[in-house]
Order: sequence, then structure tokens, then C-alpha cells
Amino acid sequence: MPQTNSKNPGHWALTLSNNVQEIPLLNAFVDEVCEFHDLDPMTTLEMNLALEEAVVNVMTYGYPEGTKGYVDISAQSDSGSLMFIISDSGKPFDPTAREDVDTSLPADQRDIGGLGIFLVRKMMDSIKYEYQDGHNILTLKKKLNQ
Amino acid sequence: MKTTFEEKDGKYIMHFEGRLDTAASVQTEQEMKVLHNCEGHDVILDCAQLDYISSSGLRLFLALLKVAKAKGSKVCISGMNDNLRQVFAMTGFTHLFEFV
Repeated sequence: MPQTNSKNPGHWALTLSNNVQEIPLLNAFVDEVCEFHDLDPMTTLEMNLALEEAVVNVMTYGYPEGTKGYVDISAQSDSGSLMFIISDSGKPFDPTAREDVDTSLPADQRDIGGLGIFLVRKMMDSIKYEYQDGHNILTLKKKLNQ
Repeated sequence: MKTTFEEKDGKYIMHFEGRLDTAASVQTEQEMKVLHNCEGHDVILDCAQLDYISSSGLRLFLALLKVAKAKGSKVCISGMNDNLRQVFAMTGFTHLFEFV
């Protein structure tokens, strides 16, 4: 069952299973965090895109097909930035190691693979991957203009 | 997410309404298949009511574009809001589609 573990102002958490049909719950979670921070619609859209790409990546590739797995998403902020942490216990996978797509190619030469991580990089100010105690931990940071 | 297909003045038009996220993209992929038989018809993707599109949705648009181009049909995107157009710009998709 997906659940929101915490709703304390300044810290949010959500657990989803590896089922992309739960993505609307992630979008609602991100909307709530962005609304709390008074972010404009474009930034909210960017945060939704980045988080969806990163989480779908885990849901799709993190666990062997047919096995149940989880992905934890948490958000916290300080005065200058908003930070999302995505963690899972699937196979070690560093999405930041993937090369960006060439977005200047014509349609017939475009391969859609790699677009997800490209979007995450584009939307966020920093992206960091660690593997710790059997967990993939991806930290995404966005500077807040205040 | 809801799509509606319409044939008008020889053009194939699909209206998109809602959020085209990864969860919705499986169903939408099926619904867009009708557009893949577009020999002799230009295609309009009406995105005036589209609120959100993730890379799963962009994939569907690109797949359609490749098929349509090979059949000599044009693919236009109409009514898309500015924020989504920025997403298209970031991914280089603005150059691939015609916007009306």
C-alpha cells in the first residue's frame, strides 16, 4: 500500500511500490511539497517531471520483473533549497552514469532512451547518486529563489 | 487522461485532456494507434486541454511522428500551453513538430 509517512512541515515522505500505476500519487505528493513552498506552475511542472522520471526508472529497472519492490521518496527544505531523496533496495544502478541524449538530432535519428535522466539533469540544480547499505540513494536538489 | 479522435476536413485530429504521465501512457499508446494509419491524412494533436506530459508521453508523440513522416503526413501540435512548450523546447522536440 502506498502511504504518506509524514506530513510535518519541512519534511515529507512517501512510499510507493514498483508499479507505475502509482505515479499519480507521486504527482500529488510533489504538488503538495511545491504548494507548501509557493513554487510557480512552471517550477512545479519541472519538479513533477524530474521526480517522475527518477522514480519510474527505479520502478521499471530496479527490481527483477514480477517481484515486488518499493521506492521511498522524501522531501525536505532549508532556506535556500528544496531536496528530494529517492531510495530503493533494488539492484545497484547509477542513473547519473548514463550519457545524455543528443536533443539536436532530427526525428528519424532520435532515440528516446536516455531522455528521462536528461530531463532530471535539466530540471534540477544538482543530482547525486550513492549506494549505501544495499540502497540506491538519489538526491535531487533545486535552488529556491526567495 | 482522456483522448478523443476526430476526422475533419481530411485531417486526423486527436484531442488530449488531462495528465499524460507514465501511468496513463499505456492506455494512451493504444488510443493513438489509430493515428498511425494516417496515409494521405495530416495529423493534428490538440493539446489545449493537456496539463502535463512526461517522457513517456513524449515517446508516444515521437513514435507517431516517425511513422507519419515515413507516410508523408505532417504532424502538428495545436493549443499547447506555454509551460508544456518549454518542456518540448528543453528536449529539442520543438524543432521536430510544427506548432499551430
